[in-house]
Amino acid sequence: MYFALSLSLLAIGTEVRADGHYEIIINPSVKERILSSNTLRSIFSMHLKTWSNGAKIRVFVLSDDDQLHQIVSKEKLNVFPYQLRSTWDRLVFSGTGQAPIKVNSSEEMLEKVASTPGAIGYLWRANINENVNVLEIK
Amino acid sequence: MKMLTCSRLSSYFISSVRWLGKSVVVLWFVGDISAQAQQPDQSQKQSESAKAPVKWVQAKDLPTEAAERGNVKEKNGVISTALKWWRSTDRPWDLQIHGFITQAYVLTSDNNVFGKSHKDGSFGLTEAGLNASARPLPKLQLSAQVLSRRAGEGNTGMPRLDFAFLDYRLYSHETDQFGIRVGRLKNPFGFYNDTRDVAFTRPGILLPQSIYFDRTRNLGLSGDSIQLYGETAVARLGTISTQFGVWLPIVSDKDTQLSVLGTDVPRGQLSREVSYIGRGIFETNDKRLRLGISGIWLNTSYDPSSKSNDPIGPGAFQFSPIYFSAQYNTERWTLTSEYAIRHLKYDNNFHSTVLDGQNLYGESYYFQGEYRFTPRLEGMVRYDVLYTDRSDRDGSRWAEKAPGRHGFSRFAKDITVGLRWNVTPEFMLRAEYHHVNGTGWLSRLDNPVPGDSKQYWDLYSILASYRF
Repeated sequence: MYFALSLSLLAIGTEVRADGHYEIIINPSVKERILSSNTLRSIFSMHLKTWSNGAKIRVFVLSDDDQLHQIVSKEKLNVFPYQLRSTWDRLVFSGTGQAPIKVNSSEEMLEKVASTPGAIGYLWRANINENVNVLEIK
Repeated sequence: MKMLTCSRLSSYFISSVRWLGKSVVVLWFVGDISAQAQQPDQSQKQSESAKAPVKWVQAKDLPTEAAERGNVKEKNGVISTALKWWRSTDRPWDLQIHGFITQAYVLTSDNNVFGKSHKDGSFGLTEAGLNASARPLPKLQLSAQVLSRRAGEGNTGMPRLDFAFLDYRLYSHETDQFGIRVGRLKNPFGFYNDTRDVAFTRPGILLPQSIYFDRTRNLGLSGDSIQLYGETAVARLGTISTQFGVWLPIVSDKDTQLSVLGTDVPRGQLSREVSYIGRGIFETNDKRLRLGISGIWLNTSYDPSSKSNDPIGPGAFQFSPIYFSAQYNTERWTLTSEYAIRHLKYDNNFHSTVLDGQNLYGESYYFQGEYRFTPRLEGMVRYDVLYTDRSDRDGSRWAEKAPGRHGFSRFAKDITVGLRWNVTPEFMLRAEYHHVNGTGWLSRLDNPVPGDSKQYWDLYSILASYRF
């Protein structure tokens, strides 16, 4: 029973992942619709701090060992998760920047990005609803 | 009176640091337990994002699993609630608070490192830091960190203001940034100096001592300065980030006085003079290749005591090192090398045959490989070389000049192997072995009698560090 269930969960899991259905999501207050991947990396590296209209960017991430975090890091940002971590640590402990805000689940990611002005994060497409916008990365 | 308060204060801090040492041991256990508790939690977490769309299946069909999950959460209750509060996004001005605490045990076959490590070993290295940052305006960030470091005779654990500054972003457009920082700032040189006291950001328990001297660390660590910084994209290759600062070094501590003047109890004092620092780092877009160059132009001079008959005259001292840094990153490997050439210059006004007219170039370099067996377990090997005077690498000419001098105190060649275990993202354990030929970077405060030092020696160390 357990086995069958976990197998089916696994099957659904790989299905979700196989066609790469995840998105960079933003709070509806953000006016940007398209970003270059370099700008996106600059945002997740916590170097670019404001949107083009001057509002604060607030970055939300899942745990370093979360699978989606690792995929977004490697595929969208084109860096390894450990490099992001060391970039953030350098900023935080030299005072020259801040760390992104860590959320513990997809639900929390959705909730925080939907409710925080200037927020940016990422989610599996299946977990996204109309409370957040999807950002196109070119 | 002032002195009295000071010594009371310091004894208070020393005892509190002892307490910190004990609490690290406790933390170790807590870390272990929480790691175990987190194991099932984490494996769930990993697939959670994928599972979420079919959550209703879980809720309906797996009441037992759901209950177990609740249990695990309760175990972490107090800590995670506290952490959640720290991490809460609703705090005003985007306030963030972070910190770390590190305790190391050091055992040496000969010579002393961070206290009396010889033979019996010592828990002589304790590092703790607490920092806060806030963004009252989108382009303005305020940051401050208090640091306590207890390491041998040179660092008593007395907390000091490590940095406190404001950072204003003057220009920002996509990948191009330009801004100014004013206040007490960490000195940007090499890959590691800015965060050298945070064990999580170091490549080992000890940083390569040839470049990141712990002996004269306070001099290079931070200073009161104004810094301009910029970051710009270079074609489609990567980004160049630069920092340039004008600063006043901190020269009032014993280690610095001993290194510059040859005595840690001078009658007068070193004065702070305008100094300069700069660094540029090129990074490819995938951060695989990082190349850096940094330079310091440090000035200080000696103010002899006017009351007593000071044997040291009003000389000026200049220290101007240049650092070249390179790093290559792959998923499993990080290969790093840095090279420094250090110019030391004394003028002729110190009234000292040892100091006057000294003008020499020191040289340092290291090669280091870090390998991630898994994201949690990393190995490290390093070869690190220091020459105090590159025109007298074995120190023989220097040793000839006076009796009782050892040439081996003018260089150090250190072979290091180490292991790092990330028990959780917040808790880390480390073990390290060094085989060293030479005593070039040993602290003279911890090794006051030159005749007692040995040329070939080994160092064993373990370390536990927690951060939030």
